[in-house]
This record gives sequence, C-alpha cells and structure tokens, in this order.
Amino acid sequence: MTAEPLIAIRRISKRYPGVLALADVTLDVARGELLAIVGENGAGKSTLMKILAGVITQYEGEIALGGCAVRFQSTRDAQRAGISIIHQELNLVEQLSASANIFLGRERRTRGGWLDQEAMDRTAGELLAQLECHIDPRQLVCELRVGDQQLIEIAKALSFETEILIMDEPTSALAESEAARLFRVIEQLRSRGVTVLYISHKMDEVFRLADRIAVLRDGRLVETVERQRTDARKVTHLMVGREIEETDLSKPRAPGATVLSVEHLWLPWPGHARMWRLEDISFSLARGEILGIAGLMGAGRTELLECLFGASADAPRGRIVLAGREVAFKHPADARRAGMALVTEDRKRLGLFAEMSVGANITLCTLAQSARLGLVSRRRENERAAGTVAQLNIRTAGLDAPVTSLSGGNQQKAIIGRWLLSQPKVLLLDDPTRGIDVGAKAELYRLMDGLCRAGLGIIVTSSELPELVALCDRILVLCEGRQTGEFLRADATEQRIMEAATMRRASAAVGQT
Amino acid sequence: MKPTPGGDAIGPLRRWARGHSNELGLLIAIAVVVGITTALSDAYREKPLQNAQEILRQTSLLGVFALGAAIVIISGGIDLSSGSVIAFSGSVCASIMLALAPVDEAGNPMTQNLGMGIFAVAIAGTLATGFLIGTLHAWLITVVGLPPFVATLASLVGLRSLARVFVQEVTASLTATGKTTQIYINDESFSRLGTTWWIPLGIFVALSFCAWVLMSRTVTGRHLYAMGGNEAAARLSGIRTDHLKWLAYCLGAMTASIAGILYMAEVGTANPQVQGRGYELNAIAAAVVGGCSLQGGVGLIPGTMLGVLFLRIVIDAVAKIVKVGADDYEGIIVGFLVVLAVAFNELRQARRGAGKQFFPGALGATAIVTLALGAGLLCAIMVGKNAGGGMFAVSLVGLGVVAFVQHRAAARRAAAPDSQLP
Repeated sequence: MTAEPLIAIRRISKRYPGVLALADVTLDVARGELLAIVGENGAGKSTLMKILAGVITQYEGEIALGGCAVRFQSTRDAQRAGISIIHQELNLVEQLSASANIFLGRERRTRGGWLDQEAMDRTAGELLAQLECHIDPRQLVCELRVGDQQLIEIAKALSFETEILIMDEPTSALAESEAARLFRVIEQLRSRGVTVLYISHKMDEVFRLADRIAVLRDGRLVETVERQRTDARKVTHLMVGREIEETDLSKPRAPGATVLSVEHLWLPWPGHARMWRLEDISFSLARGEILGIAGLMGAGRTELLECLFGASADAPRGRIVLAGREVAFKHPADARRAGMALVTEDRKRLGLFAEMSVGANITLCTLAQSARLGLVSRRRENERAAGTVAQLNIRTAGLDAPVTSLSGGNQQKAIIGRWLLSQPKVLLLDDPTRGIDVGAKAELYRLMDGLCRAGLGIIVTSSELPELVALCDRILVLCEGRQTGEFLRADATEQRIMEAATMRRASAAVGQT
Repeated sequence: MKPTPGGDAIGPLRRWARGHSNELGLLIAIAVVVGITTALSDAYREKPLQNAQEILRQTSLLGVFALGAAIVIISGGIDLSSGSVIAFSGSVCASIMLALAPVDEAGNPMTQNLGMGIFAVAIAGTLATGFLIGTLHAWLITVVGLPPFVATLASLVGLRSLARVFVQEVTASLTATGKTTQIYINDESFSRLGTTWWIPLGIFVALSFCAWVLMSRTVTGRHLYAMGGNEAAARLSGIRTDHLKWLAYCLGAMTASIAGILYMAEVGTANPQVQGRGYELNAIAAAVVGGCSLQGGVGLIPGTMLGVLFLRIVIDAVAKIVKVGADDYEGIIVGFLVVLAVAFNELRQARRGAGKQFFPGALGATAIVTLALGAGLLCAIMVGKNAGGGMFAVSLVGLGVVAFVQHRAAARRAAAPDSQLP
C-alpha cells in the first residue's frame, strides 16, 4: 500500500493471566476498505477489536489513527475518534424504545432542558429508514427481531458519525433474509466511505464482502491476503494451520425401526395473533437416522425441540410416540427418563454451569448413577467424566478445570457428553455448531455421524443450510410454525429448502398486495 | 485458553489451598482479631476458657440459621424471613409448652418442671411450623411466581406481627393472669438448651456436618449448586428445580425454627416483639462473609461456619475493647465486615486492584467526606469530642492523599504511551 493507512496497529500484545491472547500483532487498515478478520475461536479476533474500540484499555503496543497515536481509555474516547463496535451480543436496553437506545447517553434536549422526544424519534426514524429498517422508532427494543435490533446498533453508530465500524460476527443470530439486508447496508455504508472491520467465521460472507482478509491464529497474525488472490480452502487452511479433511458423511446410513413419531402436533401461543407457535406438525424419526430441521429465525425450530422435550411453557396437543409408547412430558425430567436428550441452542444461557468444573458439567444429569443412597462417589463420578472426555476427545486441562476455560467447541462436546451419559434413544441438537470454529465443527459432524451409525436417532437444527444438507438423511422445513417441506437427502438442495422456508411469507405478501 | 502444561501436576495440598483460599483467609483473619483483642484487653488473658465458651455459644446460635441462609443463597434465592421465623417459632414452642403444662390452683400453667415428653412435642411442633413456613415460601415462589425477595419479605413483616397477636391470644386464653405480650417458660433444664455452651455448639456442629454432606457429597446438593448457578440450564437438564426450591426454603425456615427454640430457651421467654429482630441480615451477612455469592451457585458450608465465627469474634472483640454499650455496635460491625469481605473478594478475583482509583471525581470526593464523617463520629462517641474532630481531620487528609496519589498514577499511566511517540 502506498497511501498512509487509516489505522496502523503496531506490535499489539495482550496478556491475560496464563494466556497470551494477542502476540505482537501488526496490521494496517486502508481508508474505506472492508477488512475481514477471521480465525478460530480464541484466535484473538475479538480481543484485537475490543482494543481498537476502547473496550480493553490495558495492552502493549501502539495504535495510530490517521497518523496520530491514540490510546483510548474508554469506548467514549473511541467513539469520539470515529470508531464504533457492534458486539456479537447486542448492547441495547430492551425496555427502552429504539430511538431512546440510539440516543442513549446523548439525549437531545429542548431549550428548557427537557427531553426532546419528537426530535429524537424523527432523527432515529430517518437513520433507520436509510438502513432499510422500517420500524417505528418508538417501539420497545424487546419487541423487535434480532435483525432489527442489530440495525438499531448500526443506526446508533451512524449517529456518532462513525468512520470505522467494527462488526463482531454480525450474522450469527440472523436469518438469511436479514443477513442479506445487512450485506446491502454494509455496501451502502462503504459507498459513504465508512471503513469496516468484519469478524466472521463464515467463509461465504467473508468472500462476498471483503477486500482483504486478515487471518489470526493463536493470537498471532498469520497472513493478510487479498480476496481475489485466494480461496476459502486456503483461508481455512491458514486459520486452522492444518488441512481440514473433507469430512465424508455421504456414506449411506441404514436407518432402523422408527423410534419417535409425532402426529398432528400443535403448540399454543397464548396472547399472540398467530394463536399457535406450531401448527399441525407430523414426522417420524428412525434409529440411526439424522433428521434436520430447517427454517428461518422464528420458524419454530427451537419451539419444536423444546416441546418434544417437555420444556415448553404450554402443553402441546397431538400425539408423540417414543419407542412404541405414547408420551406427554410435563417436565424435562420425564423426557430424560424416557430416553430423550436436548442440547440447547444458547450454550451459555441454557447449557453451561459456568461456576462448575468440566467434570461436574459432564456428570450433572446422571449424577445419581455415580451415587449410592444419594451419596456421590467421587471416584465413580470421575471415571465416568474421564470416559466421556476420552470418548469425545474433549481438550481440557483436567476434570477440575473450570468449564469456562474450554473453547466453544469443547464446551459443546462436554454438553453433548453430559447427555450421552444418560444413554438416550433420541438426541435433539439445537443449532449445535453455532459460534464454533471450523475445526471443531468438522469434529462435531463426525461425532454425530458416528453416534447415528451406532443406532441413535438424532434431530438437528441449524441456521446454516449447507451443514444440514451435508449431514442429514432427511430435512424437515418449517416456516412460521408450519411444516412447509420435507426432503430426502437426494432431493435436498439449498435452493429448494430456502424456497420452502420462505413459502408462507411469500404467499402472505402476495395476499397483501 | 490452552491447557497449561502440567496442569494436573500441582500437589493436592496446593490445589486444596487454591480451592479454599477464602476459608484460609478467614482463618488467618480470625487469628489476627483474636491476637489483637488479647493484646488490647485483659478479658481474654484472664478468663480465656469462659470467653471462648461464650463466643462459641453465640456463634452456634447465629450459625444454626446462617446454614439455612447459606443453602438458600447457594441455590440462587434469598430468605429474608429468618428473624421473624425465629420470633414466631419461639412463640409457637412456648405456646405448646404452656398448653401442655399442668395447671395450679389459680388456673395458671406451671412451667417449672415440664419433662421430656412436653419438650419433644413442643420441639416437633415448632419444626413442623418451620416446614410449613418454608413450604409457603416455596409455593409463593415456584407456583405463584413471586420473586424470593418479595415472598420472604412478606413473611419477615407478617410473621412477627402474627406472632405478637398469637402470644396475646394464647396468654389470654391459657393463663388466669390474662393477656400479656410475652410467654415465660421457667423450666431450668429447658433453658440449658440455650445457656449451656456445648449444647448449642453440639447442635450447630451436627447441623453443619449434615449441611456439608448434603451440599458437597449428595446428588441433591450438586443440583442445588447447579440451580443456583444457572436455573434455566438446570431445568433443561431434567432437574426438578421446583422440588429443590421447596427443600432449600424449608431448610432455611426450619433452621430458623431451631434457632427460635434455642433463643427462646436462652432467656426462658417468648418475646416476639424483639426476639430475632434483624437477625436475618446477620445470617445473610455471615454467609456472604463466608464466601457465598448472592448471585447463587457459589459458597461452601465450612466457609459459612468460619464466616459466622469471624463475625461473632469481631463483635466480641469490639465489646471487649469498647466495654460499654457493645450491643449497639453490632450493626456497624456487621455492615462494615460485609462490605470489606465482598470488596476484598471482588478485588482479588478481578485482579484489577492495582490500577483502580478508589475515589474518582465528585463521587469519590463526596465518599471521602462521608467516610471521614463516619470515622469522626465513631471516634467522638467512643473516645471524646476532641478526638472525633481529630479523627475527622486525619481521615479527610489521609483519604485525600490516597485519592491524589492514585489520580496522579492514573494520569501518568494514561500519558505514558504518548511520551513514547516518535
């Protein structure tokens, strides 16, 4: 590059107790470019971005912005310098309106010193409209969809007159249509001259958006490559430092007898205009089969799994037959006893016990089997946990290590291991690869394939269609609580699934015009 | 995070010490306070045994229901009702005794010589009362959906009032002397329950052992920790969180009932107006000083035991050193220790004590004035008016210097990178 870089990052290191999160990273960002920053979980992407955005203030090294050295003491400093960050987990006050969130901390006032609600609502509405976000700025954030919430964060960043926008895995919670809108918004921002730093796991996004790609691994910058001169395979290779062997999941499986069948399942939605979260769902699952559930955000994937597991707030109607016996679970405990297992979507909130060790997290569901008269035998508990760690190849410093010290993929394996100890007949996996790095994903695919071949029936949901297409014997498509398609492996293409998943919305739109 | 090489190789002793740093810290703190008190006051040197017994007795009385408070806190809840449950339980226990006592010629119950049978019935009835109160809490929380704070706050306010009305009604109908606000139990062997030092201690140690086994050795205990740490995940793991809450709040209320019996026996009087007033906060404070986190999921029974002991030892130390009106200082001590213990833990865990400014900006300046006023006021009361003024001035200047030094250091750190510019 001949021109002076907009951001010059010079020899940045960040040390946490026991871990070197960033080691001597030097990186230039040109004005107006979109630089994708990729790397496995724990590679240091987020740490680097948090330093840039003033979230982390203690570090070694220097940063220069347009030639001037800067050292931000807070996000406010960074915002003043034109840098905004949109975190993976959004920073919004759910009980306040969209416009109140956009102007939070910089509220407009009338001459008398009162809040100028009208001016804020008007400006917020204009900002949002520019971003194709057609919501009422007075609406409470908690009533909005994740995609709209994210655009509120972007609108907020724009209202700061941001020159540099950092986005940390912005599509991880978005449906595909919302992601497509986000990409259009990013293009629009770039045409206004905004420089974008984009963290992502997803190669297709990165190759669609980026000018250059910076690859981090174990806290070091491996390489910065021009998009045109590389391909996804090469970047993945740089990320993991090894060639990921294409996991071969195409060997035909031989599904056995039916283990679960669902007939005319309806799940009520009290107080909502749609009345039903799920409407008339019927399907069956065989031993040794992987059934995929596809659908956009809000299609009812999670609701369906929770309802099968006895975890939904309202009791469903319809027939659920598990291993030849009709069941109606009132509590997850019933479901577990009958041979169901659910690995939840939101690992941190609904799966992990952050205060507990790796071992305790693994044995939690089945502790009674390591106990006599209610007293836990530490030896037997440790044996069982160690067996799971070995079986699933969970990389941990030991059974006593805090579970939060594991990487996302290994945390997920620990939770799957927790459920495998209960020897389930049916394993429900709700978006198991969300927020997991590439290497760990492949490992999870192989694990699921192996479990399936050992005779387990698996139902898996995912927001990533290619994943489902590669993994599943059959794919069920949901759209707004309805079953809009079912495809065998041979017929399942991303195109056809997408059509089914958007079917109802399209027809509804036609109905309105 | 990468596994540290040889992560398993550290010795079992060091690993134990790492997992119990809070307990070790409390042990050291207890030793230090005892040492200081022995140096400053004659009481510990002249009558060591008597003082030790009194401290242990007091520790046990508080400890019994602090165990219950700790279990509720670890399981992710809070029980604010224990002070009133103590008063109510004492009243119930005394009322049962009064009802079963033989009557003299004037129609008054004679409570001097009740016998084991009556004790057993009264104690069983009181424990059952505790069980029912705990059940009510669990029902309000799990079925009605009240936050634990609200459900037990209602009991805190309601049960004491109910106990007062109840005692008046009982005395009006059972005694010839008519309505009173207290019930007297004159049985000497019953009062030994609260006054003979080793009986409360024995009860406390036995209950602690049971609580320790429950929390660290049983499936139920592990599930209580899990629920406290992440309730939604616990439910989705097939744990019956409703049942666990029932257990936790019953243990909270029943340990308070046991304490109610002991406190009532200690003075031979059920006096719901004052008995156990404010004790719920002492129990919560002891659990927190002992390392329980109010977020739930964290805390150990041995830590709680040491927390109670530490609290009582500091209270006793101040009593020995100040000598008069020591009871009145209890609240100040408890408040101070809770802030100190939790702040200490926060700073240690976050490892950010080094660069932290304690008195930033206008908030810090006002806090300095508040702290100096507090110190001056205490000093004026305990030593004298002039000393109070001196203390105020010294604190103000001292804290001001701390603030100034920290501010300078922070400013220097902020300026440092700029000075390295080319």
